[in-house]
Amino acid sequence: MSDSISTDIVVIGSGVVGALTARKLALAGRQVLMLEAGPRIKRDDIVTNFRHSARKDDFIAPYPNSDIAPFPDYKPQDNGYLDQTGPHDYKPEYIRVVGGTSWHWAAQAWRLVPNDFRLKSQYGVGRDWPLSYADLEPYYYEAELLWGVSGPAEMAKYSPRQQPFPMPGVQKSYLEQRITERLAPKYEVLTNTTGRNSVPYDGRPQCCGNNNCMPICPIDAQYHGGIAADAAEKAGVKLVSQAVVYKLEHDSKGKITALHYYDWDKVSHRVEAQVFVMAANAIETPKILFMSADDKNPHGLCNNYDQLGRNLMDHPSNSATFYVDEPLWPGRGPMSPSSIQQLRDGEFRAESAAFRVDFSNSSQVAGVTAAAIKEGLTGTALDDAIRFRAARQLSVKNVMEQLPDRNNRTLLSTRKKDALGLPVPAFSYSYDDYVEKGMQHSLAVYADIAAMMGAKQVRYSTPGVYSNNQHITGTLAMGFDEKTSVTDHVGKAWDFDNLYMVSTGVMPTVATANSTLTACALGLRTADAILGKL
Amino acid sequence: MKKLLSLSLASAFAGLMFSQTAMAQNNGGQDLVARGEYLAVAGDCGACHTAPGGKAFAGGLPLATPLGKIYSTNITPSKVAGIGDYTLDDFEHAVRKGVRKDGAHLYPAMPYTAYSSITDEDMQALYAYFMQGVKPVDDKAAETTLPFPFNIRLSMAGWNLLFAHGKPYVADSGKSAEWNRGAYLVQGLTHCSTCHTPRNALMAEQADNALGGASLGTWFAPNITPDPHAGIGSWSQQDLEQYLATGRSANGSQAGGPMLEAIDKSFSKLSPADIQAIATYLRALPAQSINAAPGKLPTSTPRLSDVAIMTGSAPEGAKLYEAHCSTCHQLSGQGGNGIPALFGNAALKRPVADNAVMAVLEGVTPDKGQAMPAFSDKLDDRQMATLINYLFKTYGDAGVQTTPERVKALREGGEASPLIALAKEGMLAGIIILVLLVIGGGVIIQRKKSRK
Repeated sequence: MSDSISTDIVVIGSGVVGALTARKLALAGRQVLMLEAGPRIKRDDIVTNFRHSARKDDFIAPYPNSDIAPFPDYKPQDNGYLDQTGPHDYKPEYIRVVGGTSWHWAAQAWRLVPNDFRLKSQYGVGRDWPLSYADLEPYYYEAELLWGVSGPAEMAKYSPRQQPFPMPGVQKSYLEQRITERLAPKYEVLTNTTGRNSVPYDGRPQCCGNNNCMPICPIDAQYHGGIAADAAEKAGVKLVSQAVVYKLEHDSKGKITALHYYDWDKVSHRVEAQVFVMAANAIETPKILFMSADDKNPHGLCNNYDQLGRNLMDHPSNSATFYVDEPLWPGRGPMSPSSIQQLRDGEFRAESAAFRVDFSNSSQVAGVTAAAIKEGLTGTALDDAIRFRAARQLSVKNVMEQLPDRNNRTLLSTRKKDALGLPVPAFSYSYDDYVEKGMQHSLAVYADIAAMMGAKQVRYSTPGVYSNNQHITGTLAMGFDEKTSVTDHVGKAWDFDNLYMVSTGVMPTVATANSTLTACALGLRTADAILGKL
Repeated sequence: MKKLLSLSLASAFAGLMFSQTAMAQNNGGQDLVARGEYLAVAGDCGACHTAPGGKAFAGGLPLATPLGKIYSTNITPSKVAGIGDYTLDDFEHAVRKGVRKDGAHLYPAMPYTAYSSITDEDMQALYAYFMQGVKPVDDKAAETTLPFPFNIRLSMAGWNLLFAHGKPYVADSGKSAEWNRGAYLVQGLTHCSTCHTPRNALMAEQADNALGGASLGTWFAPNITPDPHAGIGSWSQQDLEQYLATGRSANGSQAGGPMLEAIDKSFSKLSPADIQAIATYLRALPAQSINAAPGKLPTSTPRLSDVAIMTGSAPEGAKLYEAHCSTCHQLSGQGGNGIPALFGNAALKRPVADNAVMAVLEGVTPDKGQAMPAFSDKLDDRQMATLINYLFKTYGDAGVQTTPERVKALREGGEASPLIALAKEGMLAGIIILVLLVIGGGVIIQRKKSRK
């Protein structure tokens, strides 16, 4: 039998965006319930799981997956949670636990650049946002203070700031110092802006260089959603974990009236609220709205104009790996520490995709060892190869903008269900010529960088095959009207007066920056709208 | 000012008074103010009188004591909220005797028993600094309101009669200038004995056991006399100087808690000559043998295998260590990359486990250098005790162990004072006065700032 709970505001999803939105609402005196499909986890358990894992390069492995609230996992083989309908596979990673996917990340805390908000009017491609960089700027800063964001002052050239970063940039590793020196002045290599402490902040220590950002920072020098969820609970948010929301109810007057969730024993519960905030990520949120279809809304809620789940974007990446002519000793300091910003904006965006160029500082030891063994090296030759390559191997990749395309979409699978009997997410996905041109542009930049670093044995990733960056955007896009978007400029659903979305999914374009800080800033702005302050 | 001196007695004084040679030029009041500022740092006045994030010397920092919160006062030259209308005499009375301008007695959270050693010349410099070098702040600090009968400040008069008989430092002509400078600082401004000297039944410092070590309720202030087992007898001059200047030394010591605060705010800002003088004086003290640890130490660096951990057969302490500590401190506690090693670590060689527990509970956050995270919300009392006991057994003094009950008490800020219960039971006036005498000392040793 279904029990019924009543609250002022219910937030569906406890990831960093939902948790910080919930926290803000609770601090304003509202009664907030936050539901999370997955279980609570603890840092030390994840650290233990990672240390005990034989597959250290599998960053998902330490996180407990489940049949009840499953999440995609591709190693050692695909667990089949997601249904691919082609032409390309879209294989995002996310985790369903209290605190969400940012337990496992590199804490990149990027702001977009101002032209990202007016791509269409500036360059004639993609679409414009229904708000400007200036509208979002104070919320970026609000999010940066909550996370504890560090970054170099020079970053303001690209993303203007009213206030300095809460902390200076994390100290450059030797690798970063050498790359920065050797590529200057042609390429300006900047320390990344990250939710990583460069000095003690908010009761958490500074980064000590364990090079363990993914899958887990062992000392919380790196901010994550678990910290945000804790902060939400401290602010008075009531958190219920293992609560899988599967349906929204609405009345005939444009209001959502209740939601239904299964607990992990598949007992159904009903929650009534005044305001509903969807924060279940850019794939699971559309899934809930699709599953809430009824006679009046046969294609799901918020989908009267066939916008829901469409315009799915992420950051496809190609990469180059080579041996530099001097030892750089990757593996000390943060794993993803610095990048080149110069190609994130420019007139070329009318024709080909903008991108950021990222340098990896991850330890290369495991990778080069496996490769050398595979090559058949043994004994001294193997030792020598490991020493040489681990010290000199450098990897460089891009974070490439993908334009909104209505044929790239998430929808409900018609052939697969999870253990609760809920349909799993399905995808239709491909890359267009705009991306391909950007990839070619990137390859030329990699070749230039490799030459400047005196590189040997330059290896490029397979042409036409791009890795994914889990910056899932567009599926709940904000826009100017209900015919071309799902939500308005504050994240309110066009179709319902009390339904809001806080998620990377509301971003109308993906730009060239990891999406979490922007989503948090938008969520904090949505909170202001819910509180009547906008 | 001139360095006049050739006679040995005078040169002892010279070292004492004017070691800040850079400031020894006569340019009117500026010199005096600058010297006063330096002395205020040496006395660590800001540690209590400046609240975190607050205005300098505006007070208002709550010092948690077993009897309630004592708020530090505004000592800026504000005439409405601070000490702006204090004459030099008033100032000297407060700093040296613990009596305010209005005649009220200070609680000895203010270490006036030590500050009484300050010379007249230095008192003038301090006065000049607080009147001219500090910006007046007109915000009144919160009032201290201890429960009855502890709110009767007059009772401190009796305690003072018994215990506060200090006088300005008089140099020992038989010792070097450096030794005298060290003695002057240690006995006076840096008030080392406030924490490091154990107290008698009336909570006054035990002169016979000076600097022999004492518990502050939570943190343990170790024996800092040159006993080779109980104290710093095995420390080189360089070890000690490095420790005072940075909070860390090559012999496995790193400051935490109140000592780290003293290093960050005071010792690290003292001149190398003064640090050298303090170290010289401490190393020449009479050795005290109290508070020695049992000394059951491992003879070599433990080399741990992770097989038992991987198979799950390792003891719980080892598992907790792996999950919470080993990424930074390494599998066998060897540390590295700026992270301290655990084998040979001073925190694991104390006579009690309290400092190790406190460091893990609160973390260690120095102004400079790598911070260690706090684990108070990651480990419960039983887990904490299990982990700490594992650390002592594996890397430190196997004769020292703690309990979940002790961890609980430390988490709550140390044991509550029995004085409150005594007072509530309605002791007679005479006894109350005695009790009040006790509080006086109690607040000193319990002074511990509420941390964020």
